[in-house]
Amino acid sequence: MQQQLTNLSDKELISRARKQNDREAEGVLMDRYSHLLVAVTIPHLKNNANLDPNIVFPSLLQRLSASLKTQTIYKVNEWISHIQKGYLGKPEKNTPFYPSRDGRDLLHIENTVDKAATNIIDRQDLIVRLEQALQRLNTEDNHLITQFYLENKSFADLSASTGLTRERLRSQLKAAKGKLAKLFMNQGYVK
Amino acid sequence: MLSSKPNNDRVLKIFSAIRCLNRDQLPRYLDGRLTDVEKHLVEQHLTDCDLCYDALQALEKEENTENYQDLTNKLQRYVHNSIQPVSHVQKVAQYTRKEKNKEHMLTYFWVIAFIGLGIGGIYVLRGHMRNQPPVRVMAAGLPTKDSARSEAVVTAPVVIPDDHHPAPAALPASHKEAPATTKPIAATTSTPDSVAIKKAAALKALQRKAAADSIRKHTLLQKQQDSLKKVAADKAREKEEEKKPDPKPETKAAPKEDKPAPPPDTPRKESPSTAVNSDEYLYKAAMVYQQQGNLSEAIDRYKRIESVSSGKYVEMARYQLAICYRSKGQMGKARRMFKEVVRMDGSMKNAAQQALDSM
Repeated sequence: MQQQLTNLSDKELISRARKQNDREAEGVLMDRYSHLLVAVTIPHLKNNANLDPNIVFPSLLQRLSASLKTQTIYKVNEWISHIQKGYLGKPEKNTPFYPSRDGRDLLHIENTVDKAATNIIDRQDLIVRLEQALQRLNTEDNHLITQFYLENKSFADLSASTGLTRERLRSQLKAAKGKLAKLFMNQGYVK
Repeated sequence: MLSSKPNNDRVLKIFSAIRCLNRDQLPRYLDGRLTDVEKHLVEQHLTDCDLCYDALQALEKEENTENYQDLTNKLQRYVHNSIQPVSHVQKVAQYTRKEKNKEHMLTYFWVIAFIGLGIGGIYVLRGHMRNQPPVRVMAAGLPTKDSARSEAVVTAPVVIPDDHHPAPAALPASHKEAPATTKPIAATTSTPDSVAIKKAAALKALQRKAAADSIRKHTLLQKQQDSLKKVAADKAREKEEEKKPDPKPETKAAPKEDKPAPPPDTPRKESPSTAVNSDEYLYKAAMVYQQQGNLSEAIDRYKRIESVSSGKYVEMARYQLAICYRSKGQMGKARRMFKEVVRMDGSMKNAAQQALDSM
């Protein structure tokens, strides 16, 4: 059972945990992200001496488990990150997680791309539209995205060529991608 | 188009979803032990995913890594432990529920199956009981069929002479008598499975016997009244017999055969005027024999009609007699009969003439 569940996607596991009240699916999901959760939480544990990992992690898991049943989760990593930050920032207040508009746009495009993988006509259409959106992007972002995504340059290569730090590079790439997504989504209205 | 296709396809890569870094990808990325493709995918994901990037940044600091493995293992163990009992209990509960359901379904199934079998059995039994009696009677009646028929034929004149009873009403009674006599035999010889059938059969037989008895009594009374008429009929018959002996010796064989049959009839002769129905009946019976191919029996009947009755039936009987002789191959007799019919100058004259011409 455990073996079969580990092969399922996050979405599937969440729906199982919700609809069938499947604790095992929930556990598999938590297990999948546990190392990231630990890695993200370690600096906090280091900085704050009165935080006990034996208390922090179980209560974090509990909070995740509670919000899993009630909240709309598009992306598990965003959701976990939000809950973790909320827990460590204001432990007394349980702030609900709302995916941002940009996040939803991104997810939408990702889903369309995923669907188009098996449909040649859709894929051709999608490629044309994406390239149009890419043309409208300003030259700097266009260059960055082309370099990173289309020419498979690594962070190290790009930071060497542009002179930006990795963090700056990442945030710029993220912003450029967000702009591209927005342009792509607005194409539908422009057309 | 084709040359630009790989480049085109790559555009889609910008928005392809990539999973979060798994447990061994994270340290390998930190150590730079990933392949180029894998590294690129990880970096693509890192641009989108805050959680993974934060984790990476946290682990890049030397002092955090020592705790990382330990805490991760602990957390995983904790997760496993918290799931295990629950899932085990759930599984056991599910299993027991399933088994119970199975048992319930089995009991339902057997109950329904037995009910169905019972209903089916009753239905079949009823059908069996309904169909059984006639089959048995038929089986028992088969050997006695001929005797029953001859009985019916013989008894027919007995019933018919009755003036006050319309013949069609009397005929069915005489017909019924035959099965009635055979039925009790069947009932006694065979062993019926239910008492009800026996009783019903016995009742029916009794009723029929009573009906037949009453008719017989009536006919006995009538017989005495008819004795005078019989004498006249006898004379007519003797006249007929005088005619017959003169043909060839082979014809003598036929009358000889007939002889055992006529005697029971002779005492119960009827006046021609009232015997129309009996003539018709006899004629029809003879026709049936003829159609069945029992020519000698048919000839016998026709002769009786010829001797007993008068009017058109005599003519028709003679004509049929001629046809019977013809089909038997006794051409002389047939021709004589046809000639006689022609001489009678009745409705069959033309047909007889034609037959004579064609012979």
